[in-house]
Amino acid sequence: MSSLKINNVSKTYANGVKALQNITLEIPTGMFGLLGPNGAGKSTLMRTIATLQEADHGSITLGDLDVLEQKHEVRKLLGYLPQQFGVYPKISAEQLLNHLAVLKGLTNAGERKEMVQALLHKTNLYEKRKQQLGGFSGGMKQRFGIAQALLTNPKLLIVDEPTAGLDPAERNRFYNLLCELGENTVVILSTHIVDDVKELCNNMAIINQGQVLLKGNPLDVIGDIEGKIYQKTIHKNELKDYKENYQVVADKLFIGKPVVTILSDVAPGNGFKNIPASLEDVYFAQIFNHNAKH
Amino acid sequence: MLYEIFKFEILYRIKRLDTYIFFLFLFLFSIVGVDFIYGGVDLGPIKRNAPIIIARTMGILTGISMMVTSLIMGVPILRDFEYQMESLVFVNPIKKRDYLLGRFLGSFVILLIIYSALIWGIALGELMPWRNPDDLLTFDIMRYVQPYFTVVLPILFFGAALFFVTGALSKKLIVVYTQGLFTFVLFLVTRSIENRFLAAILDPFSLTTLSELTKNWTPIELNSQLMPLSGVLLYSKLFWIGIGLLIGAFGYYRFKFQVVSNGSKKKRKAIANATEETADLNNELPVVTIRSGLKSQCAQLFQHAWFYFISILKEVSFWAIVISAMVIILINSINLGTTFGVDSYPATYFIVEELLEMSVYFFIIVMVFYSGELIWKERGAKLDLIYDALPSNNVINLMGKFIALAYTYMVIMLALILAGIVFQSTHGYYSFELDVYFISFFGDLLPTLLLFTFISFFIHVVVNKKFVGYILVLTFFITSIALSQLGYDHDLYRFGGHNIGTYSQMNGFGHFIASFLWVKAYWFVFCGLLLLVATLFLVRGTETNFRIRLKQAKQRITPTVVKTGLVGLVLFISLGSYIFYNTNVLNKRWSDTEETAFRAGYEQTLKQFEQITQPTLVDVNMEVELYPASRNYTAKGVYILVNQSAKEIKEIHVQKLIDNQVTLEYLELDVPASLQEKYLPYSYYVYTLKDGLQPGDSLQLKFEQVFTTKGFESGASNMHILNNGTFFNNKDFPTIGYNNKYELRRGADRAAAGLLPRKGMASRTDAFELKNGVNGDDGYKINFEMVIGTAADQTAIAPGKLVNSWEKENRAYFHYKMDSPMINFYAVVSAKYEIVRDTWTPKTDSLEPTNPVDLEIYYHKGHDYNLKRMFTAMKKSFDYYSSNFSAYQYPQMRIMEFPRYASFAQSFPNTVPFSESLGFVLNIDDSKDVDMAFYVTAHELAHQWWGLQVVASNVQGRLFILETLSQYSAMMVLKEQYGKEKVLQFIKGQLESYVKRSKGVDSPESPLALVEKQDYIYYNKGAVNMFTLQEKIGEKQVNLALKRFVKDWNAFDPNFTKERYATSKDILEYVDAVTPDSLKTVVSELFETVISYDAAVKKAAVIPQENAGFTLNLDIQLDKWERNTTGNKALIPNTAVAVAVYGLDAADNEILLEVHQVQLYAKNKEVSFEYKTKPTKVVLDPNYMLVDINRDNNTKQL
Repeated sequence: MSSLKINNVSKTYANGVKALQNITLEIPTGMFGLLGPNGAGKSTLMRTIATLQEADHGSITLGDLDVLEQKHEVRKLLGYLPQQFGVYPKISAEQLLNHLAVLKGLTNAGERKEMVQALLHKTNLYEKRKQQLGGFSGGMKQRFGIAQALLTNPKLLIVDEPTAGLDPAERNRFYNLLCELGENTVVILSTHIVDDVKELCNNMAIINQGQVLLKGNPLDVIGDIEGKIYQKTIHKNELKDYKENYQVVADKLFIGKPVVTILSDVAPGNGFKNIPASLEDVYFAQIFNHNAKH
Repeated sequence: MLYEIFKFEILYRIKRLDTYIFFLFLFLFSIVGVDFIYGGVDLGPIKRNAPIIIARTMGILTGISMMVTSLIMGVPILRDFEYQMESLVFVNPIKKRDYLLGRFLGSFVILLIIYSALIWGIALGELMPWRNPDDLLTFDIMRYVQPYFTVVLPILFFGAALFFVTGALSKKLIVVYTQGLFTFVLFLVTRSIENRFLAAILDPFSLTTLSELTKNWTPIELNSQLMPLSGVLLYSKLFWIGIGLLIGAFGYYRFKFQVVSNGSKKKRKAIANATEETADLNNELPVVTIRSGLKSQCAQLFQHAWFYFISILKEVSFWAIVISAMVIILINSINLGTTFGVDSYPATYFIVEELLEMSVYFFIIVMVFYSGELIWKERGAKLDLIYDALPSNNVINLMGKFIALAYTYMVIMLALILAGIVFQSTHGYYSFELDVYFISFFGDLLPTLLLFTFISFFIHVVVNKKFVGYILVLTFFITSIALSQLGYDHDLYRFGGHNIGTYSQMNGFGHFIASFLWVKAYWFVFCGLLLLVATLFLVRGTETNFRIRLKQAKQRITPTVVKTGLVGLVLFISLGSYIFYNTNVLNKRWSDTEETAFRAGYEQTLKQFEQITQPTLVDVNMEVELYPASRNYTAKGVYILVNQSAKEIKEIHVQKLIDNQVTLEYLELDVPASLQEKYLPYSYYVYTLKDGLQPGDSLQLKFEQVFTTKGFESGASNMHILNNGTFFNNKDFPTIGYNNKYELRRGADRAAAGLLPRKGMASRTDAFELKNGVNGDDGYKINFEMVIGTAADQTAIAPGKLVNSWEKENRAYFHYKMDSPMINFYAVVSAKYEIVRDTWTPKTDSLEPTNPVDLEIYYHKGHDYNLKRMFTAMKKSFDYYSSNFSAYQYPQMRIMEFPRYASFAQSFPNTVPFSESLGFVLNIDDSKDVDMAFYVTAHELAHQWWGLQVVASNVQGRLFILETLSQYSAMMVLKEQYGKEKVLQFIKGQLESYVKRSKGVDSPESPLALVEKQDYIYYNKGAVNMFTLQEKIGEKQVNLALKRFVKDWNAFDPNFTKERYATSKDILEYVDAVTPDSLKTVVSELFETVISYDAAVKKAAVIPQENAGFTLNLDIQLDKWERNTTGNKALIPNTAVAVAVYGLDAADNEILLEVHQVQLYAKNKEVSFEYKTKPTKVVLDPNYMLVDINRDNNTKQL
C-alpha cells in the first residue's frame, strides 16, 4: 500500500480560525504520530483525511486516490475512530458491531461473524458482547471504537486522541492493539501525549496553530537536539529571569521546586547540567519556538 | 437566584433562531386560521370574526399546534442532559426550586409570547383579500385578546406543565412528543362523552365547552358578545389549570437534582465487573472482502431499515402510541353509518373509515417526529462521525431510515386492523373483509404517509436544523391541506393526489383505482427525485456551511446520479403528461373561473327562453345499452311532443346534458327544421320549424345519446355510471327548453357577473309556475317504454311492467312498459342483484279494489338484513295509504339498492332506488331503535301518492306537499306497526334536528306552507307539526282531508281537468274543512306562521298531606314568540300545555300518574295537583306538541 500524501492543505473556519495552514506531510505505512497541543488543528486534519471535512486548498492523496474527491473509494479503505463518539445505549456491542460491519460492506454473513467475533476477542469485549453499550465504561467504549475501526482490514486507520480518559492499563492494552496491525496500513494517531508517539510511532509530525512545525522519525528528531538540553533546579522567583535569558522548553516542579529545562547550542554554565534529550523536549522546544514567533 | 435563572432562560431563548421560527409559524398559520378551520363551512348569520368563531379558532389552533408547545416546553431541563451540562449545572449552589421554577417560568413566558402570534395573526387575517367584508364585523381587538387569556392561556399552562415535566423526568424528546398525542386522545375521548356538561369541562381545547356555553345564544348574541369566563368555560379552565398544577407538583417532587438517576444502578454494577479479562491478543484478524454489488447494497439497505425499525420498537413511547391507537376505537363512540340514530352493522368499510379518521393525528405525529428523530439519530447519539466515514452511500442511508418508518407505519396499521377486527367480533360480526382493511390502510394511507415522509426527510436533510425542520414539515403539511381546500386540488399539483375514494360493497373501489395508482406513481417519482436531491445535500461529517455543502453536492453528482435523475425526470414528466392528458385533454376540467363564466354566460344568453312556449312531452320510447365494464352507454330515444298551447310553436328548444362525456350522435325532428348553431356552445339546440307546429299537432324528436368514459378525471369522477350500481335519471337525457339548474348560485359570483340575485321559489300566485309540476318540467303525463341492455350478470330496472327479458350476444335485455300514463320522471338502474319477491293483497276495505301488487327488492348479495322490514313496510304502507288516501296506481313496486356514494332513497313511478347506506345495512334493535328501514320505505312509498298522484306545482310550499305529507304518512304507518312510543322517539329526533339547524340560519324562517328548499323545515319541523295536527284534530280527520285532496288533485285521474297543479293553499283548505273552529288558530299557527316555544318548569315542590296524600305545586313558564322578518316577537301564550307527572309503583318502577292539560293565558302559571303516591318527576309537553327550542328545562326530578 502506498503512502498518504498531504500537500499544502489549508482550512479556515467560518469564524476566521485558521485551523490548517499549508500542511504538507507524507505519511508512509506504519504508525504515524501527530503531536500537538489542544486546538492545534489535529482533529481538523484527521477529519479532513477521514473524508468528513473539506479543505479550502491543497490535495490529499492515498496512493492513486484523491481523498478530497474520491471519498467513497477512500471510505472503503478507511478505519476511523473519532476523538469523541457516543453509542446507542440500548443495544449490545455485538449488535452494533455487526450492524456497522454490514454497512461497511461485510455482507457475507459467515465472514462477518468471524470478523466480529475475532474483534470482540481482540478488544477483550467478548465476554461483554451481549451487554448493552449504555453500560460500558470509557475504556470499554474506546475499545469498541477501535473494534469498529478495524472491521474491514483498513488500509488507512485514523485514530484521534484514542487514549484520552483511559487509565494506564487501558492505554497499554489499546496500544498493543494498534501495534498488532500489519505494516501495510497507514495508521495516523493524533495525541497530545508525547510518550504515546515515542512508544509507538516510526514517524511523527508536530503541529501547532495549524502549521507543521516538525516532521520526521522520533529518534532522528531527538538526535537533532541531543546534547543541547540542560537542566537546573532554581528558586521560584528566579523563573522569570530564566525565561527571559534562556530558551526554556520546560519548567516543572520536582519535589516542590522549579526545575527549568533549556535548549542551548552551547553549554550555558550557570549550574545547568547537560541531560539526555527526550521527545518531550523536542516537542516543547518546537512549541516554544513557534509561540515565541507569534 | 430564581430571577437569575429565569432571566438566563429568557435571554437564551431570545438568542435562539427556533423562537422566531415558532412565532412566525404560528403567526402565518393564524392568518389563514379561520379559513383553515371554517373554509368550507357555511356559518349562516355568524360572522367570520364573531367572538365565538375567534375563540374556537384559537382553541383549535392551540390544539393543532400542541406539537409546537411540546417542542418549546419539552427542552428546558432536557437540554442540560442532551448537552451533558448537567454535572456543571447541578454542582452549582442552586436550589432545585429555583432551577425548575426559573426554567419553567422563563420558557412559559417565551411560550406565551410565541402564542401571542395567534392574536396578531388571526386579527391580521381579517384584512386578507379573500375575506368577504359582508362576512365580517367591525374590527375589535378585544375579540382577540380576551380569548387568548380565557381560552388559550389555561391550556397552554396545562401543556407547558405536562411537557416540561415529561421532558425533565424522561429526558427523551420522543416521550415529550407522545404526550401531545395523549392530550389529543383525551380530546377525542371527550368528544364521545354523552354528558355534555362533563364533556365541556373535560375538553382541553374548549370546543365542546364553547358550544355548551353558548348553546342558548341567538345569532345576534353570538356576533356581539365576548365569551364570558364563567359557567362551564370557567370550570373547564380551572380544571385544566388544576391538572397542570398537579402535574407540576408531581414533577417537582419526582425530579432528582443529581446527575445519575436511579435508572443507572445497573450501569454502575456493569462497570464494576467489566475489567477482569484478558484479551486474546495473539489471534490474527481474518481477511475480509468488502462487497459493494447490488446484492450487497440490498443487504445493507435492509439491515439499515431493520436496525432503525428495531430501535423504534424499543421505544416505550411507540408502544404507548400503538396501544392508544388500538384502544381509541374501543372507547370512542363509533359512527357506523348512523342514520337517524340507528347504527349499521359494523361492516369493515365503516370501521376503516372510523379508524382512519381517528388515527390520522397519530400518523401525523409519528410521521413528523419519528422521521425527524431518525434523520437526527446518529447525531443525537454522537455516532455521526463513525457513520459518516462508512463506505455506505447516502441513498442507502436515507432509504434505510425511510423503510424503517414504513415498517413502523405498518405495525400501527396492523394494530389498528386488529383493533377493528376485535371490535367487529365483539359486536358479533365476523365478515372481516381483510381486503378492504388492507387496501384502505396499505394501499391508500401508507403511500400517502410515505410521500409526506419523503418531504420530511428532504426538508430535514436540506435545512439541517432539527427544530426548524419540524416547523417546516408542519408548515408544508398545513399548506398542502389549505391549498386543496382553497380549490387548488388538481392531482398534478395537490401533493400526493386524491385518496382512493369511497368504498362501496356493491361497487368495491370501482373505477377509482386506476387514476389513484397513476397519480400516486407520479408523486412517488417526484418524491424519489427529491430524495435524490436530498442525498446530494446530506451532511456527512462536520461541514454544515451551505456553501460548502453546495460544493459537496456538485462533487456527488456522479454519472449514476445524473442517469437516475434523468430517468426519474423523464418518468415524472411522462406520468404527469399522461395524467394531464387524461384529466384535461380526454376529459374537460373546469377551473372555477371557467365554470363561473360558463354558467353566467348560459343564463345571460338563454334566460330569455325560460318561459317560451314549448310543446309537451307525451311519449317516451327508449333503447338504452349499458356497458358497465367500460362505463359507457348509448341511449336511442324517441320523444313525441304535442303542442298543448293555443298558439303556433315555431321553435323547438332542446338542452343536451352539459357534460363532455355525453355526446349526441344525432338529434332530429320528423318535420323540416333548421338548427340555429349560435347556442351550441351551451349544448342548447334551437330548431326553427319550417312550418310551425299548430295547436294540437305533434312531432317526433329522435336522438341517440352516447356516454363515453375516457381515461380518468382529476379527483372525484362520475359516480353514476358505474361498474356495478349504475343509477341515473331522465334529467341526463335531452330535455326541452331552458334549464335553470345551470345558473350560478352564489350571490357573490352572480353579482360579479352582473346578474341579479337568484330568485327564491315563485309565490303561490305565479301563473307560469303553477302549471309547472316538476322543476324544469317538459310534460307531466307520458307514456313510457324502455328496453335496457346491460352486462349478462346484471339486472337493469326502469319504471313499468317487465314485458319481456332475454339474452342476446351475452348481454341481458329488459323491456319495461308503463300501462298507464306516468309523470316524466324515471331512473335507469343496473347492478348484479339478488332478487326477493313478495305480494301485497289489498285489504277488503281499500278505497277502490285493485289487483294484488308484486313487490320486489333488488339488493346486493349479503345485504339481506332488513329485507323483511322493508317488505312489511311496503305492505303496511299500501294497506294504510290505499285505505285512507286512494288506491295505489301500479301493479308493481320495486326497491333497488344503489351504491353508497349518495345516501338517499327516491321515489319514481313504481320504482324506488334506495341507497346502500340508508336501510340495507342498518342494525336495528327494536328495543331501542326506531325501525328506519321501515320508516324510509314507508316514506318513499308515500311519494307514490304525494308526487306521483298529486303533483305539486313549482311554487312555495311545494315540498310541504311532497315531503311533509310523506313524513306524516310514514309516521302513521310507523304508529300502526310499532305504536305511539316509537313515533314519539322519532319526533324527538326530528325536533332536535330542527332546533339545531334552524339556529344556524339568519334569514326569517318560512312557515311550512311557504317553505322553499329548507329541508329542516319540510322534513323535521313538518314531521313535528303534522304529528301535532293529528293529535289535535284526530288522525281520522287528517286522513279525510287528505283523501279529499287526492281525489280532487290526482293529476293522473282521467277526469283531472284543472289548469294548474296543487299548492299548499289547496291542502290547507281541506285541512281547514275538517278542523273544528276551536282549533283553527292552532292549526293556522302550525302551518302559516313560525311560532317557537320554550316551556319550563320553574319551580316544583311536593308537600306531603296529613291524610297520606301529596300535593304538587308547580310554577310553569311558557315563552312563545313568532319569528318574522323583523326578528322575534314575543306573544302572550293562549296555549294548552300537557303536564305529565310520574311516580313510582310498589316495585320502584317509574309509572305515569297523570297527564294534566294546563291552559296558559299568560307567560307564567302556578298550579297544584294532588296524588296518592308521591310524584317523582314532571315533564312538560311529553308528546312534543310544541315546537320547543329548549327541551332541557321541561323535565324536573322531584
